[in-house]
Amino acid sequence: MIQDYFFFTGVNVLLAWSVYIVLLTGNLSFAQGAFMAIGCYAAGIMTTRYGVPLALAVPASMTISAAVAVLVGFPALRVRGIYLILVTVGLTFCVRIGLENFAYTGGVEGLKGMAGTKLWHVGAAMLVVGALLFLLSRSPLQRILDAVREDDRVAASLGINLTYVKLLAFGAGAAIAGMAGALYGHYLIFVRPDNFDILVSIFVVLYVILGGVNNMWGPLVGATVMTLLPEFIRALQEWRPTVFGLAIIVMLLLRPEGLLKFRMASARWSGNAGS
Amino acid sequence: MTAQILNGLIVGSMYALIAIGFTLVLGVLDRLNFAHTEVFMFGAFAGLVAVDAGGIWWLALPFAFVVGGVFGIAVEFISFRRFEGDARITAALSSLAVGLVIVDVTQKVWGTEPVGMPIPGWVTTAGFELFGMRVVYVQLLILGVTLALMAALHALVSRTRMGRNIRAVADSPDAASLLGVDVRRVTQHVFFVSSALAGVAGLLLAFRTGFANTDVGLTFGLKAIAIMAIGGMGDLRGAVVGGLLIGVLEALTFQFGIGKLGELVVWITMILVLFVRPEGLFGGGVHVKDVRA
Repeated sequence: MIQDYFFFTGVNVLLAWSVYIVLLTGNLSFAQGAFMAIGCYAAGIMTTRYGVPLALAVPASMTISAAVAVLVGFPALRVRGIYLILVTVGLTFCVRIGLENFAYTGGVEGLKGMAGTKLWHVGAAMLVVGALLFLLSRSPLQRILDAVREDDRVAASLGINLTYVKLLAFGAGAAIAGMAGALYGHYLIFVRPDNFDILVSIFVVLYVILGGVNNMWGPLVGATVMTLLPEFIRALQEWRPTVFGLAIIVMLLLRPEGLLKFRMASARWSGNAGS
Repeated sequence: MTAQILNGLIVGSMYALIAIGFTLVLGVLDRLNFAHTEVFMFGAFAGLVAVDAGGIWWLALPFAFVVGGVFGIAVEFISFRRFEGDARITAALSSLAVGLVIVDVTQKVWGTEPVGMPIPGWVTTAGFELFGMRVVYVQLLILGVTLALMAALHALVSRTRMGRNIRAVADSPDAASLLGVDVRRVTQHVFFVSSALAGVAGLLLAFRTGFANTDVGLTFGLKAIAIMAIGGMGDLRGAVVGGLLIGVLEALTFQFGIGKLGELVVWITMILVLFVRPEGLFGGGVHVKDVRA
């Protein structure tokens, strides 16, 4: 039982990081549940029907997930960020309805027979993704992402290809979510399309917001606390959406300057914050 | 076939009412109001309370209008007022959180199962023949109420002082406030009107299906956000035409026996529109100018 808690926490941390990467460019994705589903089903079909080993199926499903992200992300990211919210919401519905209506993916009954994920697999995945994110935060790419998020016109005038950078982040997020999905499916043995409801995507975004988006540790803490806490406090489990919702509202009201003014410590110290 | 198209127009007119709310808020504030779908959902439950208390079933309609509007003002106060300037995502998330709370509390009070609407049976079953097509009274009611509300909204926006202020703020909040328009008041008006329409739409949907259901915010209401993008963000005509178009297209998927995929129509149309014509079908909205920003 306790092992399950740790496993789901790990999956949620991976999903939270996948939201965080997209958020680094100032965009919000409500499709991480859909990418998780794509990864889960792609890997599940490969291992159960074609006998592909899990070690190969995971990277393959990550690639498929990222390819879908680039395909649907392009028309949205070419224009204003608000469109990505709409497209990702749409993708979540499309993926779920698609999975429910095609016999190949098992329909409403779902897909079964996947196995093989051990607890340490998700731990290793967290370590790898965490290490990559840490390296990213020290790299020039991080500064490009910051520029795109804080002021895309300035970034564009410096010769940064906005669409390319945003697509890169969105695709990377989709790949991580796909990996989380592949591991999740092979742990649960049996998945159904309702496991990847729009609410999954919404809650993951809320984990990230509650944990904070200043750096990569915020999503880690947010996802861990918000997954484990309801398991131990009964009332919290019953009133989960209300408690989460109120927590988000209060947190946002206490930081009215907005979430995306992060990594701006220097501006804050010099006294011209918010300008 | 004609019966299906009529059905499509009726569903589409409810989509249009919700999409108008999304597009009004986006046009004036440039913000997405995610609580909107749940205010729409709650309209049915507000109507339920009114019918239970009053007994005259059609009085539920004005009640849902007012309750929806009050919810809208509350949402503006909680999720939008504090986040001025360039904080689009913050406001969207905050309103999303408000929506989650509304659904959860509604489910705790009325349960997660659909609740039957106590309205007279003849409304949903009796009807008449028109050009060989059977029209049920509830369909007539939905078409009549939505058309009346749209006409009233059109008159409000184009003919009254309040509408002129709304258009001024949509065009440029800074210029409007320099010219003496109270932007905060206008914002409240916009939220009241858009959410009131959503409340009525929720009640009409409950009249049609016979049930008040806590799921409809995400399953039915969220489609209106795509319809807004299809019609053109911030464009009222676009919201109406887009809503009717999607309603009819969905009805036609049932006609051709691929009804299970009907739910996909709206999202696929939206993605296609974004590919071909990112500013939307009409593109008369005020935010077309900076669509590439």
